[in-house]
Amino acid sequence: MAATMRSISRRDEMSLAEPAALPVAASVAPRLHVLKRFLDRFKASLPAYLLLLPSLVFLALFTYGAMGRVLIDALYQRATPKAPVRFVGLDNISAVLADPAFTGAVVNNLIYAVGTAVPSIALALLFALALSRTHAVNSALRAALFLPVLIPMVAASALFLFIFLPNVGLLDYYIGRLLPVLPNWLGDPDIALYAIMIITIWKNAGYYMLFFLAGLQAVPEDVMEAAHLDGAGPYQRLRHIILPELKPTFLFVTVIAILNAVTQVDHVFVMTQGGPSNSTNLVLFYIYQQAVEHYDVGKASAATLLTLAALMGLTALSFRTLANREGGP
Amino acid sequence: MLFSRRLMLGLAMAGSMAGALAVPAMAEGPTEIDLFFPVPVDGKLARDMGTLIKEFNETHPDVKATAVYTGSYDDTLIKTRASIKAGKPPAAVIMSANFLLDMQIENELTNLDSLIAADGTTKEKFLGQFFPALQGNAVINRSVYGVPFHNSTPLLYINADKAKEAGLDPNKPPQTWAELTDWAKKLTKREGDKVTQWGIAIPCAYDYCGWMMETLTMSNGGRYYNEEFGGEVYYDTPSMLGALSWWNDLVAKYKVHPPGATPGPAVSTSFISGNAAMMMLSTGSLTYVRDNAKFAYKVAFIPRNVRNAVPIGGASLIVPAGLEADKQKAAWTLIKWMTSPEKSAWWSRATGYFAPNMAAYKTPEMVDFLNKNPDAKTAVEQLDVAKPWFATYKTVPVRKNLEDEVMLVLNGKKQPKEALAAAQKAADETLKPYNAETALKLP
Repeated sequence: MAATMRSISRRDEMSLAEPAALPVAASVAPRLHVLKRFLDRFKASLPAYLLLLPSLVFLALFTYGAMGRVLIDALYQRATPKAPVRFVGLDNISAVLADPAFTGAVVNNLIYAVGTAVPSIALALLFALALSRTHAVNSALRAALFLPVLIPMVAASALFLFIFLPNVGLLDYYIGRLLPVLPNWLGDPDIALYAIMIITIWKNAGYYMLFFLAGLQAVPEDVMEAAHLDGAGPYQRLRHIILPELKPTFLFVTVIAILNAVTQVDHVFVMTQGGPSNSTNLVLFYIYQQAVEHYDVGKASAATLLTLAALMGLTALSFRTLANREGGP
Repeated sequence: MLFSRRLMLGLAMAGSMAGALAVPAMAEGPTEIDLFFPVPVDGKLARDMGTLIKEFNETHPDVKATAVYTGSYDDTLIKTRASIKAGKPPAAVIMSANFLLDMQIENELTNLDSLIAADGTTKEKFLGQFFPALQGNAVINRSVYGVPFHNSTPLLYINADKAKEAGLDPNKPPQTWAELTDWAKKLTKREGDKVTQWGIAIPCAYDYCGWMMETLTMSNGGRYYNEEFGGEVYYDTPSMLGALSWWNDLVAKYKVHPPGATPGPAVSTSFISGNAAMMMLSTGSLTYVRDNAKFAYKVAFIPRNVRNAVPIGGASLIVPAGLEADKQKAAWTLIKWMTSPEKSAWWSRATGYFAPNMAAYKTPEMVDFLNKNPDAKTAVEQLDVAKPWFATYKTVPVRKNLEDEVMLVLNGKKQPKEALAAAQKAADETLKPYNAETALKLP
């Protein structure tokens, strides 16, 4: 009895001691464990990091380094040409926001983004639906529609420069017979931005078509067949099956189209230089003007920061929406 | 940084030189220098530059020059400034003549006075080689900062066949604005309201537009800017109001000039295709017109309203600030060689620009060339009435302040008077920081 008692008590002791000992063990062994695990993991992924190193170095040098530099530059300004640069805080940002040329560029960019994204996506969808079945004719047509994507923007702009040439260009040569007064496509501030938009749509529609063609492959065959058997017409199939299935594609292409609208300004450089009278000035070109023509690095950096912030906000928002949509019913 | 610069230079060289100037591995010996050069007009300028530098290297074993193509005039300014900031400036740059003042204000230029003095000559003697009209853009505060390399003036180009058709004598080109207006009316053809042939076209795109406004303002007795001080422009003045009003009248009142802003290449294409019977354009386009016009053409002075006067255009050779002494010396050797009468004349014949060195026109090849192409002579003769190109603090934005308003006028969106008042206001604002530390900095 006593023995059992003792044994119990010992057991108790043990059971009491064990929890007391446990924290000690937990404070040593798991730490070792974590370290070891980390080392193990590091060892395992070392080749991966080594392989990534060149990219990381270049990213740090040319992307993150540059972004950091922009952030710093945005905070400095000089009062007069010979004065030294000094810290001005957010003055550059407020100067950019107060600049009518910047607000003008933002408005132009919004018109440009909506005016290029909507038609090019609509066209892309139309092309994809028309050419979704693969046979020789469709392949040839797809290639033809994709061709503009392969032409560099600068070369395309140079081509369109001749097409838009007032009085003697291709466009005026054909349309000119129908119109009472020949428009000066790139020289009239009311038309120039739309002329620029036409090039972007022409150039991007074929690219977005690829995404929609891929998206159409993912539309389940059996659902389509079932709808067919249920007597759903082509419009009903499009409205209730194809379009809902393409929603993620739509979202992705929209983000790409908007990013393009902000980051592609090659044609503005080549064709109008932001003119006439700033009517085709887009945000990125405004930044270029501040940095190069005004030689005002502070203001250019501030405008860059504002643009970056807007783009990152937009991207975050769209990816959240995308995640919600995929997580939802 | 180093990597990207080398890569950039490598690409630029590979692209433009096509291996003609591949840099051999140099151990020791010649001073290696870079020359940044732009190609502002169409044509084979890059190849011609390769030929020129190759010849220089063959005749100067102690210097190894490399020509680096840097794009347009504006791009060349950007790349030069980037190199100066990176601490590796090129030894010499062919820089648009009206950017010199802005660069001098920013302390980016080497004062060439000491290099001239080291040659045992004087500033007056050195500058005396060049046409007097070119000196205004090369001298700042009585110091030499640039050496004229290739230059231009605006010209009136006339389609002689169309003039004869309209009963006008192309050998007696219009000399005044009144005569030019009359010619333009007679040369305009209409079908109902529709114009099938324009009497005259004047280019207006950024850069060209400001130059044309300076041309018209000067022939109307005006100055456009203060030649002695970089903080003033004269936009809201009677001389410029007259100039812009006349241009506007050609478009809106007489309807003999195409509406809207038309860039230079569109104007020259329009002229070549016979759609515009006359145009005002740079002498730099003369070679292009000579090679492409399928009709007889004439070139003439820009007509006057008050006086005959035009601005110069083109580029000067500069030496950026912050260069080692030996490179500076090598650059100076290169610059003197490139602006010598023989080389100047050769470059002029190759490109269509006129040669800034007056002695170039006395070389036998040049005399021969001018006899064969008398139209090239008109540009040189007009130099007697030429004046400097506008150059202010922040030349490009100040010019754009005017150009944006002129474009609105040509599109019928604003009247000349209010447009010029707005341009003046905007330009004054752009010039404010410079004035604050110069003219308005009081004891």
